[in-house]
Amino acid sequence: MATTTRTSPCTSQGSAAEFKPEQTFDRSRMCHLVEGTVTVLHCHHYAALITQLALDAAQLDGPGLLMRASAEAFRAPLADYYERYGITETVDRIAIAEQYFAHAGLGQIRFECIDGAAAVTMRHSHVDEGWMKKWGPRGQPVNAIGRGYIQGACVAIYGLKDAQQVRVAETQSIVCGASVSKFVASWQE
Amino acid sequence: MAIDRTRIIDDLSQVRITGNGEGLIPLYGVFVQQVPAGFWNGFSRAIIEAAGEDLREAAESLLENAAAECGYHTGYGVITSEEFEAVVGPMIEKAPEDILHGVYGVMATWGWADAEIVELAPDEKMVVRARSYYEAETPGVQRPFAFMMRGVSRAFMDLAYGEPYPKGFGKFKCEQTKGIECGDPYGEFVVTRA
Repeated sequence: MATTTRTSPCTSQGSAAEFKPEQTFDRSRMCHLVEGTVTVLHCHHYAALITQLALDAAQLDGPGLLMRASAEAFRAPLADYYERYGITETVDRIAIAEQYFAHAGLGQIRFECIDGAAAVTMRHSHVDEGWMKKWGPRGQPVNAIGRGYIQGACVAIYGLKDAQQVRVAETQSIVCGASVSKFVASWQE
Repeated sequence: MAIDRTRIIDDLSQVRITGNGEGLIPLYGVFVQQVPAGFWNGFSRAIIEAAGEDLREAAESLLENAAAECGYHTGYGVITSEEFEAVVGPMIEKAPEDILHGVYGVMATWGWADAEIVELAPDEKMVVRARSYYEAETPGVQRPFAFMMRGVSRAFMDLAYGEPYPKGFGKFKCEQTKGIECGDPYGEFVVTRA
């Protein structure tokens, strides 16, 4: 993929790329396959409780473990999808990453990328809205799963070698009362 | 027992789920997501490894409890849904036992497990065998790792025989007695009163 120095953010705007995954149900294993990746359905109670477990395990770096598990789980399917369907332009890769997030039911996400950084907005967030539905608002962000998705997506979009190259911070959260969640990601290219 | 498990799976596994215009999946009274199984397995393994021997049981208990609450709330949403009524409702002759059998058919369509009840003593004991379950695909584990199966199985017994929802949670407990991840040909889960 060609890299160029941009002066304006690269977004999905203008992309015609459409995320149309092959979805099958494997009767022999009783599992859903989305583009060959075993995928399971879970509810917001589970996501909220697993997130709470991670937050409670702060001494074990629980949020970091949750973020890394998310980054690893989403990076590979995205990278595979790009390769399988010949998606090489950044604008199209961003569009696919945004649509994959929504397809998974994780919410509505938008990336604005520029020179080793991305400003990311979630207008809807399964994790935040599920948390609030279960427990109400919280004073601190909870969306480690979302941070991991952003990390994995940035690695896949830009073909970076290692997810740990990408730092992601949540700067504003729906769960804290904001109308949208905002994140900043940055990496060395 | 008139539950036609094959038909339940045939009917419900064909539903293609995707996020709505907001990227959310409201279904069965909850928000649903569909993410790679490797995410959940990866986190479970990571948190248990980080917990070490001293905190391993506590971490496993919390993972199992997350699954139990998920099974209790989502399970209730499932068995009271129009979809369940349409597909499983006509097969129910004896409640709640037939409902329990039907729920394991629905569970298969969520990608959780290919599991069936092999023994059921109403309000006392249930034994479930699973020919496959996604947690068994976690690489590198050799001890029982099916926290989802344990949690949701006891939650389903709570829904069947506990106080009416939402007050019946926690009446049962579940022990995993066999595991594919441990080298057994199937997973086995024994639910009894807590």
